[in-house]
Amino acid sequence: MADPSLEAAASQDLTPSSQPMFRSEPSIHVELTHSHLDVLATMARVKSPKAGAVVLFAGTTRDSFQDLEVKHLAYEAYAPLALNTLLNIARSVKITHALTSIAIIHRLGTVPIGEESILIAVAAPHRQAAWRAGEEALEETKKRAEIWKLEQFVGAEGVWRANRDGCMGEKVEDGNLGGR
Amino acid sequence: MTNPKSPAGQFTLLYFAAASSFTKRTSENFSAPVRAADLFQLLEGKYPGMGDKVLSSCAVTVNLEYIDLDGDDAADGDLMIKAGDEVAIIPPVSSG
Repeated sequence: MADPSLEAAASQDLTPSSQPMFRSEPSIHVELTHSHLDVLATMARVKSPKAGAVVLFAGTTRDSFQDLEVKHLAYEAYAPLALNTLLNIARSVKITHALTSIAIIHRLGTVPIGEESILIAVAAPHRQAAWRAGEEALEETKKRAEIWKLEQFVGAEGVWRANRDGCMGEKVEDGNLGGR
Repeated sequence: MTNPKSPAGQFTLLYFAAASSFTKRTSENFSAPVRAADLFQLLEGKYPGMGDKVLSSCAVTVNLEYIDLDGDDAADGDLMIKAGDEVAIIPPVSSG
């Protein structure tokens, strides 16, 4: 059975509302938000006359996992640590690929199916660097950012995913913890 | 860095994802000091089964820095968690 308290828990981010959930420095922006992600605004953030290529990745919530129907997803984050990690990833990818700009934005709380959960925008003088940088930024984010996804299935309990093995994580139904 | 949320003489432990499902909490205060290497044992005592089912795949941060508790000669085996520290259990992540 769906447990509303778990969905509520997944919506919180342990950050006081007075603390903005973003970090910015010249040509770098990382952010966590409970709002809809804005593709055009994110792209505009990285564009410049020096950049001949902008690559934008939009990660969108899927309606199934291993043939199970997903009702919606919910994300929670350890916001201050996740922002540190995202900033480190952005700095590193920007240097490695000589980007002119990079933005990484992740949504938190409940994300209905078909909506964006993550946007990564990178700008570079040429397309090859932009493609590679976009992929590297996404893979590093999935591997390292302190953000967790709860998949709420139709007619079943929620499951915390773990990116590293591609398997279902822990089920969250009472008395069934650790079940696969 | 100190955590304004901890009562005097205590540290705050944050739970996320599978750790918060298991404990049915998002945070909890414990009396300080505690040896970092003894943290998982403390939690297993309070939440039987948590060690195998959750903690075995988790990392730990103290004041937003990861600590190394792996093995008998772990780098941070002797680290003490102090009053006011913000400690977190970090399950395998799943952003994107």
